[in-house]
Amino acid sequence: MRKTQENHRFAALLDSEKWSGISIPILSLVLSLITASVMLLILGKNPLTAFLSFLQGSGFVPKASYGGGAGMLTDFFTFLNVLAPMMLASLGFIVAFRAGLFNIGISGQMMASGFLATAIIGYSGMNAWAAKPLVILVGLVAGGLLGAFVGFLKYRFNIHEVVSTIMLNYIISYLTGFFINARFADPLTRSMKICSNEARLTWTNVQIAGMKCSVPLGILLAAAAVVVVKFIFDKTVFGFELRAVGRNPLCAKYTGIKVGRRIVVALMLSGMLAGLAGVTYYCGYYNTIVPKALSSMGYDAIAVALLGNSTPIGCIFASVLITIFQNGSNYMSSTLGVAKEIASLITGILLLFSSCGGYFRYLAHRKLEAARDAADAAAKAEPQREPAVPASGMKEDK
Amino acid sequence: MEKVFIDGLSFAAPLFIMAMGGIYSEKSGVTNLAVEGFQGFGAFIGALTAVLLMPSMGDGSQAVIYIAMLAACVGGGVYACIHGLLCVKFRANQVISGVVVNILAVALTTFLTSAINKVLMGGSQSSNKFILGVSDRFTVPGLSRIPVVGALFRDMYPFEIVILAIAVIAWYLMYKTRFGMRLRACGENPQAVDAAGGNVARTRFIAVMISGALSGIGGICYAYSISANFSPNIYMGYGYLAIAAMIFGNWNIPSTAAVCLFFGLAKSGGYQLCLSMGLSSNYSDLFMMLPYILTLLLLTFFSKKNHPPKAAGEAYDAGKR
Amino acid sequence: MEDYIVEMRNITKRFPGIVANDDVSIQVKRGEVYALLGENGAGKSTLMSILFGMYQPDMGEIRIEGQPVRFRSSNDATAHSIGMVHQHFKLVDNYTVAENIVLGVEPMKKLAGFLPCVDLKTANRQIAELSKSYGLEVNPTDKIEDLPVSVRQRVEILKMLYRKAEILIFDEPTAVLTPQEIEFLLKIIDGLRKSGKTIILITHKIEEIKKIADRCAILYRGRLVDVLDVRNTTTQAMANLMVGREVDFNPHKNPAAFRDTVLEVKNLTVRNASKFEVVKNVSFRVRGGEIFAIAGVAGNGQVELADAIAGMTHIAGGEVKLCGQNITDLPIRERTEAGIAYIPEDRQGTGVFLDFNLGDNLALRKYYREPFARKGILQFHQFETYANDLIDRYDIRCGQGRKTSLRSMSGGNQQKAIIAREIEEHAKLVIFVQPTRGLDIGAIENIHRQILAERDRGTAILLVSLELDEIMELADTIGVIYNGQLLKVADASTLTSHDVGRYMMGVKEA
Repeated sequence: MRKTQENHRFAALLDSEKWSGISIPILSLVLSLITASVMLLILGKNPLTAFLSFLQGSGFVPKASYGGGAGMLTDFFTFLNVLAPMMLASLGFIVAFRAGLFNIGISGQMMASGFLATAIIGYSGMNAWAAKPLVILVGLVAGGLLGAFVGFLKYRFNIHEVVSTIMLNYIISYLTGFFINARFADPLTRSMKICSNEARLTWTNVQIAGMKCSVPLGILLAAAAVVVVKFIFDKTVFGFELRAVGRNPLCAKYTGIKVGRRIVVALMLSGMLAGLAGVTYYCGYYNTIVPKALSSMGYDAIAVALLGNSTPIGCIFASVLITIFQNGSNYMSSTLGVAKEIASLITGILLLFSSCGGYFRYLAHRKLEAARDAADAAAKAEPQREPAVPASGMKEDK
Repeated sequence: MEKVFIDGLSFAAPLFIMAMGGIYSEKSGVTNLAVEGFQGFGAFIGALTAVLLMPSMGDGSQAVIYIAMLAACVGGGVYACIHGLLCVKFRANQVISGVVVNILAVALTTFLTSAINKVLMGGSQSSNKFILGVSDRFTVPGLSRIPVVGALFRDMYPFEIVILAIAVIAWYLMYKTRFGMRLRACGENPQAVDAAGGNVARTRFIAVMISGALSGIGGICYAYSISANFSPNIYMGYGYLAIAAMIFGNWNIPSTAAVCLFFGLAKSGGYQLCLSMGLSSNYSDLFMMLPYILTLLLLTFFSKKNHPPKAAGEAYDAGKR
Repeated sequence: MEDYIVEMRNITKRFPGIVANDDVSIQVKRGEVYALLGENGAGKSTLMSILFGMYQPDMGEIRIEGQPVRFRSSNDATAHSIGMVHQHFKLVDNYTVAENIVLGVEPMKKLAGFLPCVDLKTANRQIAELSKSYGLEVNPTDKIEDLPVSVRQRVEILKMLYRKAEILIFDEPTAVLTPQEIEFLLKIIDGLRKSGKTIILITHKIEEIKKIADRCAILYRGRLVDVLDVRNTTTQAMANLMVGREVDFNPHKNPAAFRDTVLEVKNLTVRNASKFEVVKNVSFRVRGGEIFAIAGVAGNGQVELADAIAGMTHIAGGEVKLCGQNITDLPIRERTEAGIAYIPEDRQGTGVFLDFNLGDNLALRKYYREPFARKGILQFHQFETYANDLIDRYDIRCGQGRKTSLRSMSGGNQQKAIIAREIEEHAKLVIFVQPTRGLDIGAIENIHRQILAERDRGTAILLVSLELDEIMELADTIGVIYNGQLLKVADASTLTSHDVGRYMMGVKEA
């Protein structure tokens, strides 16, 4: 009897309006970690050591030893450097997703804006006060235009944005690859020449507490973006209309909302955030573009968004988590000898469980209903008791 | 000029079989964006089988290719169960499921390739490629002597014939058999199938598995023709091209075949044009863009008029009335 | 011991949150027409879905010809000679009549001796023969999407007969038919009874039961109230039992007091996605204080007409004027602000956001302007006040006040919310499309009262309905639509329901 009560409390946690936003992602996370642990055990490695080394690689837990001039803070700031574009990218996906759209083209939008910013500003020799804001501006404009283009294709020609964004990803990849190889390549590295320090969005070689760190400007942008996005969706008329379009475009039209225009704007916003992610990534810590190599961050951002339940706050926690995996994978791979691709694998599994989130909730809901009905039946079995009229939660029946 | 036909056909055939996979899935009511992942995973299994068998059967053996194709077919079908489970049993959003399956495929195959290569080659070095070599070509006697069109029968890859045979079987299955009739009904009005006593969930699941199997064959064919290896580069986005072909072909097998052929000719035509103009190899990148740009262009003209199966994209809810 | 062909004993079926059937027992005699009467939500459809194997009962058993049976799917029921025509047809639109009928039991042949192939030629032949022998004329090679509703129903009936059903269940068969088509159907049912079939008829229309049924079981809120001999029971008695109280059949309609013309529609033409004209050159006007009802069989363009006036569909030709102002090209929001309120046919799909809460849904017409939004920022306390006010005045039942999720509310309360929201706009024209579909009698009476109250307030009302009774009860003026054209527009008092029925079938002026 007690076991069933505990089961019901668990189910209630999963189904409740208030807690499901947190409980379901945590459930997905736990299931993924268990799966990952099983895989590690099969490979003959200790999962706990693996998870610890992820944390060490990201600067949350100190390592055994550090190289010259580096320390735990160095790793932590490196972590922040990867976190910033990840957060921005996943915010980009979330904005489109809440409006019912799938922006799978974040990787391409990132590369396009990174390339344009580097080519236009990065080699121009402007001073830092002018260069850095301009880089951000180029990122916003490039990403925004691409997003708006995708939105226009959907609005005017009914082209599904998944197909168009993916086509654009490949087009951008080849186009930028061509231009880099033609004009901008560094003969040694074969990738794009690095942009000037003035234009770079990360300050390198900053001394903090005696350790060499790279401080990303992007993390401030990401934090600001979270606040702005959350405000837009929760408090503004515009955000209300975007959510309406995402939930039910037909009813949104009936309400008088201009659905087509909102779609274009939503994708434009999404593209702008992707553009910010792009300049933070390519003109920041990494500071170079390898031709035709789209960053996987655009796709991992989808995992982050889904894990974070598609909300800005959830996105913060989810991106921290996934960046720990991504960033710590090199260190984990070198200490444990497991292929570093396991980080992407864990991300993939996380994505898998997150997309089942709806199903977990549905199962919990069913369980609670069954329990409620069993309780009703038991109450009815008691003699001479007038059963209560069923609650107002009635399904429309014939 | 001949080269355009030959290369075009060898690109179009695997594309076509992947598009047919998409058709099977969507006609049964399950939106399928996961073809990319299916073909990659199928190619992985096929390549793995080949690499395991090549030491014993000889590096140049053509029989290995056929076995690899079979393995790819099975591998793709098994991997597709994930999409099937997510969409049919777990009622996940089918677009998300497709994207998830694709992302997972990349991660899984890259990781496994590295891990397995480590075991196979021993030591700390690891590569993320399985080297396969290129399939032999052959020429159909007689037919290949016809002027112009005869080029289609010259220097063919054997898998093109295999794909043609499978296409005919798949068409027959879809339009002439009981299974096919119910499958198509599931995509238009699953309630009708349910009331007639059919099992909508099982039919859809099988359709998704078939879709995976067909895509897997497409993937391994590309591995044996374009790349000569299996590596993360197998994910060239051709799975998405196949989906676009399916949309233009209005979910109809013969039209889709024509569209795939068109894509193939456009791609090889562009490449030959680049060569004949004597441009540097860098410019070939520009021509690589051609299929994708073409897709976007054609979609602008065709997306409005096309009719996907009515019930595609929605999980079947038996309780709805 | 009576010869019962079907017995359902102590059937109980629960769905999440509701007991659909509560310990119901019925016995059906061989060769009779047995009616199941009850209002929407009484449990009739659920009970028959259990008999047809689509649901399993939580408690109770079924006996066919005295033998206890267990149906795990509709295949099992079909194997026991049970067939069912559903209210919402289960047909594949782009398949032919024959393909639909044989789906699931396809005749097969072997091509080249070994390839299995569906034998459509045999199927066509068998169906042609079947349709002739029962007087249900159909062409086996026609595609369903090209056929009118009454013919589609014949296909559904043939589906049962092809599978040699002996027990035929009809679920609300007359909901989509004109009076003349109903007569024809009742004749068919009589013929089926004469050839020895047993018929179970689910309906909420008492007149039809009086015409054709032998016995009638009355269900109320999931429980069996009584089983009556139809010949010996009055319509009033049946109605009272169905609703659980005395039913007032007379609407209290005040005499007409028409004001100036509010809505003027001239030569309106609307095209659908395939460029086919679904509304052809329609002209009419509605005055303040007038209920203009559009009668017609489903699918003749009435919904597209209402959508076009509301702005949901593009107008291909003609013009629409509201109080003299040309609104033909105005977007939806401007039409709303000009004074049009719209209660759509698809409540859950178009009328509300199921995933938003009640407060948000009630404010859908106002959220973007003062005082609900200031400079683009939503003022949530306003939403709260407004919602509480409407919940109170319109008696909207909701578990958690304005925070109730729309999805958890009953169909009747969802409709109450939509009507409340639209009426509060104090519009000049209110368009109602199928406002009482699927609701119980109490809710229907309430909505009719609201419509009449708005009319008395001087609002112009455009009512589109498939229920002829509703139209005859409420309308001041009736326009009959057939194939996209208004065949007849006349004062309601000059038309009988039989007249209207004939116009609905396309009969022009006699």
